[in-house]
Amino acid sequence: MLNLWMRASAWICLAVVILLLGFLVQQSWPYWQQYGFSTLFSGDWYPYEKLFGLTAAIIGSFWAALIALSIAIPTGLAAAVMSTEILSGSWRSLSRTGMELLAGIPSVVYGLLGLWVLLPLLQSSLGLLTGHNLLAAGLLLSVMVLPTIMVMAQDALSEISSEQRDAAASLGMGWSERLWRVLLPQAWPGIRSGILLALGRALGETMAVMLVVGSMDRIPEPFYNLLAPAQTLTSRIGREIGESAFGSMHFAALMACGLLLATVTITISLLAHLRADNTSVART
Amino acid sequence: MNIQKKIDVGLTIQQSAIKADQAHSLKLSGLSLELGGTPILRDISFALPVHGMNILIGPSGAGKSTLLRCLNLLHQSWQGDLHIMDKDVRTWPDGADALRRAVGLIAQKPSLFPCSIAQNVVFGLGRKARKQVSDEHIEQVLRQAALWGEVKDRLHDKALTLSVGQQQRLCIARALALAPKMLLLDEPTASLDPRSKQCIEASLLELAATMPVLCVTHDIEQAKRLGGQIIFMCDGHLIESGDSVDFFARPERIESREFLRWSVCDCS
Ligand SMILES: Nc1ncnc2c1ncn2[C@@H]1O[C@H](COP(=O)(O)OP(=O)(O)OP(=O)(O)O)[C@@H](O)[C@H]1O
Ligand SMILES: [Mg+2]
Repeated sequence: MLNLWMRASAWICLAVVILLLGFLVQQSWPYWQQYGFSTLFSGDWYPYEKLFGLTAAIIGSFWAALIALSIAIPTGLAAAVMSTEILSGSWRSLSRTGMELLAGIPSVVYGLLGLWVLLPLLQSSLGLLTGHNLLAAGLLLSVMVLPTIMVMAQDALSEISSEQRDAAASLGMGWSERLWRVLLPQAWPGIRSGILLALGRALGETMAVMLVVGSMDRIPEPFYNLLAPAQTLTSRIGREIGESAFGSMHFAALMACGLLLATVTITISLLAHLRADNTSVART
Repeated sequence: MNIQKKIDVGLTIQQSAIKADQAHSLKLSGLSLELGGTPILRDISFALPVHGMNILIGPSGAGKSTLLRCLNLLHQSWQGDLHIMDKDVRTWPDGADALRRAVGLIAQKPSLFPCSIAQNVVFGLGRKARKQVSDEHIEQVLRQAALWGEVKDRLHDKALTLSVGQQQRLCIARALALAPKMLLLDEPTASLDPRSKQCIEASLLELAATMPVLCVTHDIEQAKRLGGQIIFMCDGHLIESGDSVDFFARPERIESREFLRWSVCDCS
């Protein structure tokens, strides 16, 4: 019975994912039919002139996630190493609780904090007209995905047996050598899963990004200009879905954005799981 | 006159030899250790000669493994005084890591790294030394650990595919690859068949000719075979230490006699 139930739930989960993707495909179908993939390379998004180029938002999503990860990975890893290898028991659990609290804060609260604290700070320190930009979105996202990376890395590090640590230590390996040659390589599968999950979250986060990114539909000029208002796939959907008529081309284009996002994030989490499975098989 | 001089010279040489024999490679006095509030080791003192075999025996839970970990500074919170090669280990030049390279410790439970057999052998070497290490050196330490015959055709296989006994010997080889000045072994033959046991014992005796070797064992017959100095511990105390032959023939303390006769020890 239990077995049946477990199987049924597994199939239900799979069915939901497939249904979801199917729904997105169906709803965005008119868009793909009319514009095809050519719009992937066009930056113009003017719904009233029936221009629906996706590039600006894709580049925006890419940059925001890249900034977030390039800050959160080193910080999260350092924090995980610090707490598993250096801090003693009570401090370790304190830091972990702190991280779990951070992970539990609703994203709109992060967004508000970003509006009140981060934007004015960026505006004044960089002398910008407005603090709404990709950098702000990336910075905010980096704080939001930090707990994921840190908690996963912490788990992976604390799984390494004390015998391994002792073996490395009694070979006279120094602290940093133990870290680079024993701890991090062995924790890598877990760390990698954490990074992929964080990437998924960074790409999919809507509310907080929407509040700080500026929602300007244009390709950054030049493409690495992070200090101008921009747009991401999620913020575009979040902002415009309310004003688009159901069944219109605008609606279909937004659904296309959603399909793109869903495909990428599902692929990422599949990757994370596939890798985790592989390594657990190899370990036993 | 001439003859007298020769005799004098001979005598001084002999005396210095005796002095060298009295010199100690490791001198421990009054080591005590508490872990988590419980005293584990209490006031342990002994010395190891500049070379030779030393056997540490005692019932399970006596603190033998813990003592070895203290000697290697894996435990650092102990009280007492430990000199290795006439240097205080607390102020060892270049720190604890250099000390651990000089004093090879082979743990009770083999713990290999998830890479190939050959990579495990050279794991402790520095980056440069790892690149330059010769196949002969790897072969030599694997032979010393009585493992060469079994792994010579599969040096690049994963080390974790080895049997536990093979893993234990690989751990010995890994420690020997660093050319330590002293060896601490924690039940190195615990999961070995008689033949490999013999090979390891022969290797250890050979090594003991040039460096001090301190070996924990539960195997009284093995302790007799290896000879040298016996250190008998029970419940965190050092009960008796002395020459192996004397110890087994005429144990002084009642605890030692009980332990040898019935393998029990009641000293708490
Ligand atoms: N990290 C630790 N924290 C607290 N107690 C410990 C710790 N390590 C060892 N002990 C305790 O110290 C005592 C001695 O342990 P140890 O492993 O040194 O015994 P041993 O003589 O090596 O025994 P065996 O022959 O079974 O290996 C045991 O009672 C053990 O519970
Ligand atoms: Mg032990």
